[in-house]
Amino acid sequence: MSELHLSDEVLMAFADGELDEPVAAAVARAMADDPRVARRIVDFQQSRRLTRTAYSGELMPEVPPALLAAVSAQIEAYEAKEHRTVITNLAEERKRRLRAEPRLLRMALAASIAVVACGIGYWAGRQGNDRTDDLVARLDDSAIHRELSRVASGEEVELPFGRLRVISSYRLENGSLCREFRLAHAKEIADAVACLRDGWNVTFALAGAATDAGYVPSGAGDPMAAYLQAVGAGEPLVGDAEANALREVAR
Amino acid sequence: MPTAIGQELVALLPRLRRFALVLCRSPSLADDLVQGACERALANPDSWTPGTRFDAWMFRILRNHWIDHLRRTKAEGMAEDITTHTQLIGDPGEGPILSRLVLSEVQRAIDSLPLDQREVLVLVCGEDLTYREAADILHVPIGTVMSRLARARRRLVELTAAA
Repeated sequence: MSELHLSDEVLMAFADGELDEPVAAAVARAMADDPRVARRIVDFQQSRRLTRTAYSGELMPEVPPALLAAVSAQIEAYEAKEHRTVITNLAEERKRRLRAEPRLLRMALAASIAVVACGIGYWAGRQGNDRTDDLVARLDDSAIHRELSRVASGEEVELPFGRLRVISSYRLENGSLCREFRLAHAKEIADAVACLRDGWNVTFALAGAATDAGYVPSGAGDPMAAYLQAVGAGEPLVGDAEANALREVAR
Repeated sequence: MPTAIGQELVALLPRLRRFALVLCRSPSLADDLVQGACERALANPDSWTPGTRFDAWMFRILRNHWIDHLRRTKAEGMAEDITTHTQLIGDPGEGPILSRLVLSEVQRAIDSLPLDQREVLVLVCGEDLTYREAADILHVPIGTVMSRLARARRRLVELTAAA
């Protein structure tokens, strides 16, 4: 460090705490040895202080009411649009899910909703397909439980056994938190709801191949929607409401 | 779902407007820039990486918007009535470190700097951003940030030495 060139940039970075050791230590030694170096550093500290004071919060010019009103209106417009988008996306999710379900399965589900509503975990969509069975078995994997406690709705996480997408969160009337999610691997998908009671428990699942074949326009209602309605899921938690619920889980 | 950024935007408005004034020196244009930057941010909330500084992200959007504005108008700099920015000083209230007079002098000194020095000075010393964060906002290498910043601060000390 004996060749350290004490340029303005180096001394300024020292004054700003932006220098890495051991350069900072070398500058500190030079400062102790030479009052001129110290003076230059003090000047940089002073210029920072002056600027900060001139731009301190106390002296902040007021935001004109017209600007505040304009930006607030923009925010409102975007948040309203965002809300609509989310609903559209959920509808799309459900449409895709319906395409993946054989009609027979949906009918069987419609009949079973009452059972589900009693809080008994229900598996649907067992097709005698090994891959789908694997996927359904994975729904209760601890890696998924971990992500359910952490990931916001709309986010996707790549897990070793498939791609997890958390779709939405709900608070049941009894206060317990439930989350709807999808696990996809290759052409297989499983949609499920897990609720938190002594850890995450999958209470409902639909599984099948993700193909467009066998799509029947929904008339009898979407099994997932019917399930969520049956358990009293209500409106999905969005934004802060969901973030707060997840923070509680993390505690 | 993208993170709701509305509340953070509203909280940041005074600082966004202040930075816009540093860039363009015209209160009416500053308001337009802030509004345009907010519009861009709201349209692309996913371009903000949670865990990084929200203010730095917004400053970058605002400055990009300003650059686009300059390109559109092919203006070299906006020269609206320069006295309008004396309102930046405002009322120092109780217990400011410097007197109002000195502050006016500092403000004038900052305003007299070339734009490239003024913006980096305000981002690093006024907004407490790191050199790296300022470099990202200004789209210049960190070495350029340091040389502009050092020049700006040397000049500021010279201009206010008598204060």
